[in-house]
Amino acid sequence: MMRLNAIQALSTGLWGCNRINKLKIIRSMIVAAGLLGLALAATQLQDSQAAQQSPQNEAKWLIVNYWSEWCAPCRVEIPVLNALNETLSSTNVTIVGVNFDEDPREITLSIAADMGIEFPTLTMDVVAELKLRAPDVLPTTYILSPGREVVAKMIGAQTQESLLAQLAILNLPEEKD
Amino acid sequence: MNYSAATVLLRPLNAFSIVICVGFIAMSTALQAADAVVVELMPSPAAINSSLSRVITNSKGQVYLSWVTREDELATLSYSKFEGDSWTDPAIISSGDNWFNNWADFPSLLVNDDNMAAHWLSMSAEGSYDYDIKVAFYSSRNDSWGKGITIHKDGISAEHGFVAMLPMSEGRTFISWLDGRETAGSGDHITPPRSDPGMPGAMTLRAGIFDRAGGTVSEWELDHRVCDCCQTSAAMSATGPLVVYRDRSDQEIRDIYITRYANGAWTEPMPIHNDGWEIAGCPVNGPAIAARGEQVAVSWFTAKDDAPLVQLVVSTDSGKSFSAPVLVASQTTNGRVGTTILESGDIAVSWMDTEGPDAKIMLTRFSAEGNLLETTQIADSKASRRSGFPIIDSVGNDVYVTWTDVSGAAQVKVARVIYGSSKGE
Repeated sequence: MMRLNAIQALSTGLWGCNRINKLKIIRSMIVAAGLLGLALAATQLQDSQAAQQSPQNEAKWLIVNYWSEWCAPCRVEIPVLNALNETLSSTNVTIVGVNFDEDPREITLSIAADMGIEFPTLTMDVVAELKLRAPDVLPTTYILSPGREVVAKMIGAQTQESLLAQLAILNLPEEKD
Repeated sequence: MNYSAATVLLRPLNAFSIVICVGFIAMSTALQAADAVVVELMPSPAAINSSLSRVITNSKGQVYLSWVTREDELATLSYSKFEGDSWTDPAIISSGDNWFNNWADFPSLLVNDDNMAAHWLSMSAEGSYDYDIKVAFYSSRNDSWGKGITIHKDGISAEHGFVAMLPMSEGRTFISWLDGRETAGSGDHITPPRSDPGMPGAMTLRAGIFDRAGGTVSEWELDHRVCDCCQTSAAMSATGPLVVYRDRSDQEIRDIYITRYANGAWTEPMPIHNDGWEIAGCPVNGPAIAARGEQVAVSWFTAKDDAPLVQLVVSTDSGKSFSAPVLVASQTTNGRVGTTILESGDIAVSWMDTEGPDAKIMLTRFSAEGNLLETTQIADSKASRRSGFPIIDSVGNDVYVTWTDVSGAAQVKVARVIYGSSKGE
């Protein structure tokens, strides 16, 4: 209803303009509508990415890795996590990342791309829902149960072997049905 | 039942007791007033979107504040001086769109008796994590800041940061920093053991003395292998400069070490305490040192066995030896410590306490011997990295504290903590 009123008001306003001005305004409106469409599409894309990055809807075990762009051991660990992420893709365990520095989302995604991170990076809202104590050391990797309880905390850079050993203690991973 | 005899007997006792009680209450109130701690929130000279602040004092008892404001890519380092009961108008030291701004590794200001120096970090290569330390020197003759000079002369694109500065005589400045010149090309710091110092790879600790114009007077490597991402801290003792930092042993033990300049040379680094914290990672939590004559105090964070602690050690011989550690905080602390020594000899240690996403900035005062006097909450804060590191310094027996309030748009805050008694004994 409000949108209709706004269109009516705009139409009424246009009657008071000469033809050139009307054309200019209509052209501006078309451009604005186009930009709005692009913005909406971008928002939907971001929402869809956020949904994809949200672990809340999936009853999976989570490996939560805290990283930072300036943390050298984090950068060393990233390829290990990327490889493990691929290995675990058809199991009940998934890897997600957290930018320790809490940069704005756009910057965080840009840094993650620069660092070559191939697993999802959580939004700060989702991180808050996990109620994890921010680690005292970087990198730190938590393993969370499907009920989101912390079942393991690994401090410092991990290797594929150390991560798989920790998963094995938890009888993980299981192949997805 | 007849209470009269007892009542008669007790009446004079009661009267006496009341007098004694009143006397005790009066004395206690007077002592409390003398020992009362007042936390006075001061006006902030920093506008909205400010952060990364430091409070600085000099030997004249003057108080300065520095901070960074950011607008899109442009970062600006400003400062103000506290005069009378207000701050002077903010003055700009430098600004740039290629700065490396980090919540743990951020610009500083040094105020000597008649000159100033300031540092910031400047990206040295596009698309890398490499950055240089730029230091600008203030000319009182021209009343202007010079251009930023790269103080390390390695010319290598690598990480350089975590600066500590000290004023020296004749307008010279002592600077210590972490220097990644040997990490370049080593595949992200996959460092060799200390026993093979010829190989590239380790983050090093370096220091130098610079003249008024930024010319290098002396420069040293103080330690060949240190923790990559913890602050260094420096203080001037009766015998010379002291530098504390987080070491990194071959076995990845990351305890706090000290090195002293004595008799024309730097001493072999030694631990201030063997915590035995073994981690193959970055704690981002450096130590803080303060000195007054031969008295030295160092506070630091450690978390062996995932048990967080803030501890304090004191020295009465310019850092040659230290007391056993005194516990400052545990369990819920995330460190981010500061240390200052008051005129009375008392020691103030700032630290942060966390509860979920919330945090408190705390200040604990100890006697010169390390006996706990009291702990005071300075402000509410957030555990978020955006809240940064609170910084403290002191004039007389007053402690100045600055931090970033991130409850809304980030803004630098500053408070003065006034201790009621001059000697906490």
